[in-house]
Amino acid sequence: MEKLKDALDFSDFSKAERIGLVIFSVFLLVFPLLGAGSFAKTVMIQFLLFSLFGMGWNTIGGYGGQVELGKAQYVGIGAYTVALMMVWWRVPFWISMPIGILIAVGYSFIIGYPLFRLKGHYFAIATICTSLVLKDIFDNWNLVGAAKGIELPIHDHPDFLYMQFKSDTYYYYFIMALFYIGLFYMNWFRKSKLGYQLRMIKDDEDAAESLGIDIRWCKIKAYSIASAFVAVGGGYITVYNLYVDPASTMELSLSIKIALMAMLGGAASLWGPIIGAAFLVPLDRFLGSWLGGQKGLTGIDFMIYSALIIVVSAYQPRGIWGIIEQFRKRGH
Amino acid sequence: MSFLTVENIVKDFGGLVANNNISFSIDEGEIVGLIGPNGAGKTTLFNCIVGYHRPDSGRVAFRGKDITGFKPYKTNREGIGRTFQIMKVTTGMTVLENVMVGAFCRTNDRNTARSEALDVLGDLALDGVKDYYINELPIAIQRKVGLARALATKPALLMLDEVASGLNPTEIEEVVELLRRLNSAKKITLFLIEHIMEMVMKVSQRVIVLDYGEKIAEGLPADIVKNENVIKAYLGEKYAQGL
Repeated sequence: MEKLKDALDFSDFSKAERIGLVIFSVFLLVFPLLGAGSFAKTVMIQFLLFSLFGMGWNTIGGYGGQVELGKAQYVGIGAYTVALMMVWWRVPFWISMPIGILIAVGYSFIIGYPLFRLKGHYFAIATICTSLVLKDIFDNWNLVGAAKGIELPIHDHPDFLYMQFKSDTYYYYFIMALFYIGLFYMNWFRKSKLGYQLRMIKDDEDAAESLGIDIRWCKIKAYSIASAFVAVGGGYITVYNLYVDPASTMELSLSIKIALMAMLGGAASLWGPIIGAAFLVPLDRFLGSWLGGQKGLTGIDFMIYSALIIVVSAYQPRGIWGIIEQFRKRGH
Repeated sequence: MSFLTVENIVKDFGGLVANNNISFSIDEGEIVGLIGPNGAGKTTLFNCIVGYHRPDSGRVAFRGKDITGFKPYKTNREGIGRTFQIMKVTTGMTVLENVMVGAFCRTNDRNTARSEALDVLGDLALDGVKDYYINELPIAIQRKVGLARALATKPALLMLDEVASGLNPTEIEEVVELLRRLNSAKKITLFLIEHIMEMVMKVSQRVIVLDYGEKIAEGLPADIVKNENVIKAYLGEKYAQGL
């Protein structure tokens, strides 16, 4: 009960932020009714999905300050669990997704235990490596479709059990619901004991340890929470695309996008990942489909992307939200 | 059974013996000072007790329990708090949040942690700065925040690494008062490293002196100032002979 109250309580934010949240929520709610085209809906779904990913990453990467660049492997675990259980045993989404979360959490403990012996750059490199290894395994594992991936059987009728719908609107509201669960969870998380302890670890590890905090255990816990978040997103990708392959769920670029969106928007803030996704998802789409498709301009989207990251991180390491807060402080 | 027992601690940093065979014990309720010239091995000794370093040999026991080689978070849960000589100037958390992290050591509930943290801040007269970030505060207040943070973990033994360095005489006077109060009212045993002799001699009931990693003297403050070895260590051979 107390936890639920904390999750729904936004009272420690400024009035402007709360009004912003309400307007944003109303917009999200009525968006499909505004007569948006399917492209706009796809972009919005991507935006909500990446906000969810970013919020998950924010636990370990933002509050905990660990540069984690291997979240794609857990997207893959979530996605593959749903796909395989569906194809092999016709298990409904609502059972396979929680199992996917459990597998992701279990796997994250196994990976996290040795991983958190490392710090700083070494940790970042190791997270990339574990993710790449898993992708290579899935690329070559015939049982799970190898690099070809798996196609899900398509149902004739919309099916709530298997989360198959004809219209994107249903998918939109579904990811929106997941997004809000994520947002409320993070609102609780930032006020929780673990949230405080992680911020202390980020600030000063030695001091954190002197205050009775088991640093490694805290990091592992946060890491597995982050993994659970992205595994949910992975399961969603499966039912949305009705198709899974290693390239779309376990690619290094996905890991980096997740981390960058949160960092660009503002790590260790509740709004950061949402702002980051709101900037980068449309930009990514726009650059990818328009500029990336032009002859001789392949890859320019990544260059613009990187330049943006460099500029923001040089100017304000706390991201776009950091810039907003800076202006707000000056205004006072 | 004594409160804190340190037996034959040796810490060797690849040829530089920072602590050589140091033994002593502290009783419950005491205030003990640890002094010595720069590089004498005082902070190393602290780190060996608290667990940042694992001693090469020797034993540390706290309240009858062998805690040698325990990690710092474990020694903290056993009831040993410590402050740092250099407080990292951080921008991520306010003073209140810092102290709350300390209180979270003994509770899982945020409201309990918050009210305990406010109690500690009130006790140290820090309520006025509770919403500031550490980097916005003068050094004397930063030190006090470090102390408040450690106090919030409810230690039975508090180890203070140079709480008074960089403070002016009035501030030192306040710290001395504060330490005495913590010791008498809250029954916290204090073990402090200090460079400012005036302060150590005033506040400590007993003083241990280190030089080049060895314990060269131990006794009442009044005796320590007359101890030949101590004078030699601080002022050099010539002065000791000239006296």
